[in-house]
Amino acid sequence: MSDTALAQRDIALVDLVDRLIGGGVVIAGDITLSVADIDLVYVNLRALITSVGTLEESRRR
Amino acid sequence: MPADGCWAYCVTHADAGLPPGIEGVDPAGALERVVAGDLAVWVSAVPLAEFGEGPLRANLNDLTWLERVARRHEAVLEHALAETTIVPLRLCTIFADRDGAGRMLREQHDTLADVLERLAGRQEWAVKLLLDLDQLAAAAASEGGEPATTAAPGSGTAYLTRRRSERRAGETAERLATQLADDVHARLREWADDAVVNRPQNRRLSGHEGEMALNGAYLIGAARAAELPALVAELGERHRDLGARLELRGPLPPFNFVSRP
Repeated sequence: MSDTALAQRDIALVDLVDRLIGGGVVIAGDITLSVADIDLVYVNLRALITSVGTLEESRRR
Repeated sequence: MPADGCWAYCVTHADAGLPPGIEGVDPAGALERVVAGDLAVWVSAVPLAEFGEGPLRANLNDLTWLERVARRHEAVLEHALAETTIVPLRLCTIFADRDGAGRMLREQHDTLADVLERLAGRQEWAVKLLLDLDQLAAAAASEGGEPATTAAPGSGTAYLTRRRSERRAGETAERLATQLADDVHARLREWADDAVVNRPQNRRLSGHEGEMALNGAYLIGAARAAELPALVAELGERHRDLGARLELRGPLPPFNFVSRP
Protein backbone atom coordinates (compact mmCIF):
# COMPACT_ATOMS: atom_id res chain seq x y z
CA MET A 1 0.00 0.00 0.00
CA SER A 2 3.01 2.24 -0.15
CA ASP A 3 1.73 4.13 -3.20
CA THR A 4 -1.47 5.12 -1.46
CA ALA A 5 0.10 5.69 1.95
CA LEU A 6 -0.27 9.05 3.65
CA ALA A 7 1.97 11.68 2.20
CA GLN A 8 0.72 14.75 3.97
CA ARG A 9 3.89 16.71 3.27
CA ASP A 10 3.37 16.33 -0.44
CA ILE A 11 0.03 18.11 -0.56
CA ALA A 12 0.11 20.48 -3.51
CA LEU A 13 -0.52 24.13 -2.71
CA VAL A 14 -3.69 24.13 -4.78
CA ASP A 15 -5.02 21.20 -2.78
CA LEU A 16 -4.26 23.04 0.44
CA VAL A 17 -5.90 26.24 -0.77
CA ASP A 18 -8.95 24.36 -2.06
CA ARG A 19 -9.40 22.76 1.32
CA LEU A 20 -8.36 25.56 3.67
CA ILE A 21 -10.12 28.39 1.86
CA GLY A 22 -12.53 26.70 -0.53
CA GLY A 23 -13.66 24.28 2.19
CA GLY A 24 -16.80 24.74 4.14
CA VAL A 25 -16.52 26.56 7.46
CA VAL A 26 -18.24 29.89 7.47
CA ILE A 27 -17.37 31.47 10.75
CA ALA A 28 -16.38 35.04 10.24
CA GLY A 29 -13.61 36.43 12.36
CA ASP A 30 -14.40 39.82 13.81
CA ILE A 31 -11.49 41.56 12.14
CA THR A 32 -9.68 41.50 8.84
CA LEU A 33 -11.36 40.12 5.75
CA SER A 34 -15.07 39.44 5.53
CA VAL A 35 -16.32 36.09 4.26
CA ALA A 36 -17.14 37.61 0.86
CA ASP A 37 -13.64 39.09 0.71
CA ILE A 38 -12.08 35.71 1.41
CA ASP A 39 -14.18 34.13 -1.33
CA LEU A 40 -12.86 36.73 -3.72
CA VAL A 41 -9.30 36.12 -2.54
CA TYR A 42 -9.86 32.42 -3.19
CA VAL A 43 -10.92 33.04 -6.78
CA ASN A 44 -7.89 35.27 -7.31
CA LEU A 45 -5.58 32.75 -5.71
CA ARG A 46 -6.72 29.95 -7.95
CA ALA A 47 -6.10 32.15 -10.96
CA LEU A 48 -2.70 33.12 -9.57
CA ILE A 49 -1.68 29.54 -8.89
CA THR A 50 -2.83 28.58 -12.38
CA SER A 51 -0.74 31.25 -14.02
CA VAL A 52 2.33 30.35 -11.95
CA GLY A 53 1.81 26.68 -12.81
CA THR A 54 1.59 27.51 -16.50
CA LEU A 55 4.74 29.56 -16.27
CA GLU A 56 6.66 26.76 -14.59
CA GLU A 57 5.43 24.28 -17.14
CA SER A 58 6.56 26.39 -20.05
CA ARG A 59 9.94 26.87 -18.39
CA ARG A 60 10.39 23.14 -18.14
CA ARG A 61 9.83 22.69 -21.84
CA MET B 1 -4.01 50.04 18.92
CA PRO B 2 -3.28 46.44 19.90
CA ALA B 3 -0.33 44.92 18.08
CA ASP B 4 -1.73 41.41 17.82
CA GLY B 5 -4.80 39.65 16.50
CA CYS B 6 -6.04 36.22 17.46
CA TRP B 7 -5.76 33.57 14.73
CA ALA B 8 -8.23 30.68 15.15
CA TYR B 9 -7.56 27.12 13.98
CA CYS B 10 -10.37 24.83 15.04
CA VAL B 11 -13.14 24.22 17.56
CA THR B 12 -13.10 21.21 19.86
CA HIS B 13 -14.90 20.01 22.98
CA ALA B 14 -13.57 21.83 26.03
CA ASP B 15 -12.32 18.62 27.64
CA ALA B 16 -9.74 18.03 24.87
CA GLY B 17 -6.38 19.38 26.03
CA LEU B 18 -3.66 21.06 24.04
CA PRO B 19 -0.57 18.97 23.34
CA PRO B 20 2.66 20.86 24.10
CA GLY B 21 5.19 22.07 21.58
CA ILE B 22 2.99 22.88 18.59
CA GLU B 23 4.02 25.91 16.61
CA GLY B 24 1.41 28.42 15.49
CA VAL B 25 1.08 30.37 12.26
CA ASP B 26 3.39 33.04 13.68
CA PRO B 27 6.47 31.58 15.43
CA ALA B 28 6.21 34.12 18.26
CA GLY B 29 2.60 33.30 19.09
CA ALA B 30 2.24 30.14 21.19
CA LEU B 31 -0.78 27.96 20.68
CA GLU B 32 -3.46 28.32 23.36
CA ARG B 33 -7.12 27.54 23.93
CA VAL B 34 -10.05 29.85 24.56
CA VAL B 35 -12.77 27.99 26.43
CA ALA B 36 -16.45 28.97 26.60
CA GLY B 37 -18.81 26.49 28.23
CA ASP B 38 -18.29 23.04 26.76
CA LEU B 39 -16.43 24.25 23.67
CA ALA B 40 -12.89 25.45 23.03
CA VAL B 41 -11.20 27.15 20.11
CA TRP B 42 -7.48 26.77 19.43
CA VAL B 43 -5.82 30.11 18.78
CA SER B 44 -2.47 31.87 18.62
CA ALA B 45 -1.44 35.52 18.51
CA VAL B 46 -0.49 36.99 15.12
CA PRO B 47 1.02 40.45 14.53
CA LEU B 48 -1.46 42.81 12.89
CA ALA B 49 1.41 44.36 10.95
CA GLU B 50 1.35 41.14 8.96
CA PHE B 51 -2.19 39.84 9.48
CA GLY B 52 -4.27 43.02 9.70
CA GLU B 53 -6.75 43.65 6.89
CA GLY B 54 -4.45 45.67 4.63
CA PRO B 55 -1.26 43.59 4.98
CA LEU B 56 -3.30 40.36 4.81
CA ARG B 57 -4.81 41.32 1.49
CA ALA B 58 -1.34 41.92 0.08
CA ASN B 59 0.22 38.85 1.71
CA LEU B 60 -2.45 36.50 0.40
CA ASN B 61 -1.26 37.33 -3.09
CA ASP B 62 2.26 36.27 -2.19
CA LEU B 63 2.33 32.54 -2.85
CA THR B 64 5.39 31.94 -0.67
CA TRP B 65 3.72 33.67 2.28
CA LEU B 66 0.44 31.89 1.63
CA GLU B 67 2.07 28.50 1.42
CA ARG B 68 3.96 28.95 4.69
CA VAL B 69 0.84 30.10 6.55
CA ALA B 70 -1.40 27.45 4.98
CA ARG B 71 1.00 24.64 5.83
CA ARG B 72 1.31 25.81 9.45
CA HIS B 73 -2.47 26.09 9.79
CA GLU B 74 -2.85 22.61 8.34
CA ALA B 75 -0.11 21.24 10.63
CA VAL B 76 -1.91 22.54 13.73
CA LEU B 77 -5.16 20.99 12.51
CA GLU B 78 -3.45 17.66 12.01
CA HIS B 79 -2.07 17.77 15.55
CA ALA B 80 -5.55 18.59 16.82
CA LEU B 81 -7.10 15.85 14.75
CA ALA B 82 -4.74 13.32 16.31
CA GLU B 83 -6.09 14.33 19.74
CA THR B 84 -9.80 14.82 19.29
CA THR B 85 -12.76 15.62 17.03
CA ILE B 86 -12.38 19.05 15.44
CA VAL B 87 -14.34 21.59 13.44
CA PRO B 88 -11.59 23.04 11.25
CA LEU B 89 -11.81 26.77 10.60
CA ARG B 90 -11.10 28.39 7.30
CA LEU B 91 -7.70 29.98 6.73
CA CYS B 92 -7.62 33.59 7.96
CA THR B 93 -10.32 33.36 10.63
CA ILE B 94 -8.93 36.13 12.80
CA PHE B 95 -10.39 37.85 15.86
CA ALA B 96 -9.44 41.14 17.45
CA ASP B 97 -8.64 39.32 20.69
CA ARG B 98 -9.38 36.21 22.73
CA ASP B 99 -12.68 37.69 23.86
CA GLY B 100 -13.78 37.85 20.24
CA ALA B 101 -12.96 34.18 19.78
CA GLY B 102 -14.87 33.31 22.97
CA ARG B 103 -17.86 35.34 21.81
CA MET B 104 -17.90 33.39 18.54
CA LEU B 105 -18.00 30.12 20.54
CA ARG B 106 -21.03 31.33 22.49
CA GLU B 107 -22.86 32.77 19.48
CA GLN B 108 -22.30 29.70 17.28
CA HIS B 109 -22.54 27.20 20.11
CA ASP B 110 -25.44 25.08 18.86
CA THR B 111 -24.18 24.83 15.28
CA LEU B 112 -20.65 23.95 16.42
CA ALA B 113 -21.87 21.40 18.96
CA ASP B 114 -24.05 19.76 16.28
CA VAL B 115 -21.16 19.50 13.83
CA LEU B 116 -18.86 18.10 16.53
CA GLU B 117 -21.45 15.48 17.38
CA ARG B 118 -21.87 14.48 13.73
CA LEU B 119 -18.10 14.24 13.21
CA ALA B 120 -17.35 12.32 16.39
CA GLY B 121 -15.84 8.93 15.59
CA ARG B 122 -15.67 9.72 11.88
CA GLN B 123 -12.81 10.60 9.55
CA GLU B 124 -12.50 12.48 6.29
CA TRP B 125 -10.56 10.71 3.56
CA ALA B 126 -9.78 12.03 0.10
CA VAL B 127 -9.82 9.82 -2.97
CA LYS B 128 -8.62 10.97 -6.35
CA LEU B 129 -9.04 9.03 -9.55
CA LEU B 130 -6.25 9.69 -12.04
CA LEU B 131 -6.39 8.40 -15.58
CA ASP B 132 -3.67 7.74 -18.11
CA LEU B 133 -5.23 9.33 -21.18
CA ASP B 134 -3.16 7.38 -23.70
CA GLN B 135 -4.13 4.08 -22.15
CA LEU B 136 -7.75 5.18 -21.96
CA ALA B 137 -7.73 6.26 -25.60
CA ALA B 138 -6.22 2.92 -26.60
CA ALA B 139 -8.93 1.09 -24.68
CA ALA B 140 -11.56 3.31 -26.30
CA ALA B 141 -10.17 2.59 -29.77
CA SER B 142 -10.28 -1.15 -29.25
CA GLU B 143 -13.75 -0.95 -27.75
CA GLY B 144 -14.93 1.06 -30.76
CA GLY B 145 -13.94 -1.88 -32.95
CA GLU B 146 -11.87 0.24 -35.39
CA PRO B 147 -13.43 -0.75 -38.71
CA ALA B 148 -10.73 -1.55 -41.24
CA THR B 149 -10.87 0.85 -44.13
CA THR B 150 -10.69 -0.36 -47.70
CA ALA B 151 -9.85 3.09 -49.02
CA ALA B 152 -6.36 3.59 -50.37
CA PRO B 153 -3.98 5.06 -47.76
CA GLY B 154 -3.43 8.74 -48.32
CA SER B 155 -6.72 9.19 -50.13
CA GLY B 156 -9.31 11.72 -48.98
CA THR B 157 -11.64 8.91 -47.92
CA ALA B 158 -8.95 7.34 -45.74
CA TYR B 159 -8.29 10.70 -44.11
CA LEU B 160 -11.95 11.26 -43.36
CA THR B 161 -12.35 7.76 -42.03
CA ARG B 162 -9.37 8.21 -39.75
CA ARG B 163 -10.64 11.54 -38.48
CA ARG B 164 -14.04 10.04 -37.81
CA SER B 165 -12.66 7.13 -35.85
CA GLU B 166 -10.36 9.43 -33.87
CA ARG B 167 -13.32 11.54 -32.91
CA ARG B 168 -15.29 8.46 -31.97
CA ALA B 169 -12.41 7.15 -29.85
CA GLY B 170 -12.19 10.53 -28.09
CA GLU B 171 -15.88 10.40 -27.26
CA THR B 172 -15.59 6.82 -26.08
CA ALA B 173 -12.60 7.74 -23.89
CA GLU B 174 -14.59 10.55 -22.30
CA ARG B 175 -17.51 8.23 -21.68
CA LEU B 176 -15.19 5.63 -20.16
CA ALA B 177 -13.65 8.26 -17.88
CA THR B 178 -17.07 9.36 -16.62
CA GLN B 179 -18.19 5.76 -16.11
CA LEU B 180 -15.05 4.99 -14.19
CA ALA B 181 -15.43 8.04 -11.94
CA ASP B 182 -19.10 7.21 -11.35
CA ASP B 183 -18.29 3.61 -10.52
CA VAL B 184 -15.53 4.46 -8.05
CA HIS B 185 -17.57 7.19 -6.40
CA ALA B 186 -20.71 5.03 -6.14
CA ARG B 187 -18.77 2.23 -4.47
CA LEU B 188 -17.13 4.59 -1.96
CA ARG B 189 -20.31 6.55 -1.27
CA GLU B 190 -22.20 3.40 -0.51
CA TRP B 191 -19.53 2.59 2.01
CA ALA B 192 -19.17 6.05 3.57
CA ASP B 193 -21.47 7.97 5.92
CA ASP B 194 -21.29 11.03 3.69
CA ALA B 195 -19.59 12.01 0.45
CA VAL B 196 -18.70 15.16 -1.46
CA VAL B 197 -17.42 15.46 -5.02
CA ASN B 198 -15.14 18.42 -5.57
CA ARG B 199 -14.11 19.84 -8.88
CA PRO B 200 -11.16 17.94 -10.32
CA GLN B 201 -7.88 19.79 -10.17
CA ASN B 202 -5.98 20.83 -13.20
CA ARG B 203 -2.80 18.86 -13.64
CA ARG B 204 -0.78 22.03 -14.00
CA LEU B 205 -1.93 23.22 -10.59
CA SER B 206 -1.45 20.11 -8.56
CA GLY B 207 1.42 18.47 -10.41
CA HIS B 208 -0.25 15.06 -10.42
CA GLU B 209 0.29 12.58 -13.23
CA GLY B 210 -2.57 11.92 -15.61
CA GLU B 211 -6.04 13.39 -15.83
CA MET B 212 -8.06 13.76 -12.63
CA ALA B 213 -11.49 12.25 -13.21
CA LEU B 214 -12.68 12.22 -9.59
CA ASN B 215 -11.80 14.42 -6.62
CA GLY B 216 -13.92 12.99 -3.85
CA ALA B 217 -14.08 13.36 -0.07
CA TYR B 218 -15.63 10.69 2.12
CA LEU B 219 -16.69 10.69 5.73
CA ILE B 220 -16.03 7.30 7.21
CA GLY B 221 -16.57 5.69 10.59
CA ALA B 222 -13.18 5.51 12.30
CA ALA B 223 -13.67 1.80 12.94
CA ARG B 224 -14.00 1.10 9.20
CA ALA B 225 -11.15 3.35 8.07
CA ALA B 226 -8.67 0.48 8.33
CA GLU B 227 -10.53 -1.30 5.52
CA LEU B 228 -10.32 1.70 3.20
CA PRO B 229 -6.86 1.10 1.70
CA ALA B 230 -7.90 -2.41 0.64
CA LEU B 231 -11.13 -1.16 -0.95
CA VAL B 232 -9.33 1.60 -2.83
CA ALA B 233 -6.65 -0.84 -3.99
CA GLU B 234 -9.36 -3.21 -5.22
CA LEU B 235 -11.08 -0.43 -7.17
CA GLY B 236 -7.76 0.62 -8.70
CA GLU B 237 -6.98 -2.95 -9.65
CA ARG B 238 -10.40 -3.42 -11.27
CA HIS B 239 -9.75 -0.54 -13.67
CA ARG B 240 -6.02 -0.87 -14.09
CA ASP B 241 -6.30 -1.87 -17.76
CA LEU B 242 -7.91 1.52 -18.41
CA GLY B 243 -4.93 3.34 -16.94
CA ALA B 244 -6.71 4.19 -13.69
CA ARG B 245 -4.81 5.06 -10.55
CA LEU B 246 -6.41 5.87 -7.21
CA GLU B 247 -4.85 8.15 -4.64
CA LEU B 248 -5.98 7.88 -1.05
CA ARG B 249 -5.18 10.39 1.67
CA GLY B 250 -6.33 10.76 5.23
CA PRO B 251 -7.51 11.11 7.84
CA LEU B 252 -7.79 14.81 7.02
CA PRO B 253 -9.23 17.79 8.88
CA PRO B 254 -12.89 17.41 7.83
CA PHE B 255 -13.24 20.58 5.77
CA ASN B 256 -15.68 18.95 3.40
CA PHE B 257 -18.17 17.99 6.10
CA VAL B 258 -18.57 21.01 8.31
CA SER B 259 -20.67 23.46 6.35
CA ARG B 260 -23.91 21.57 6.00
CA PRO B 261 -26.60 21.48 8.68
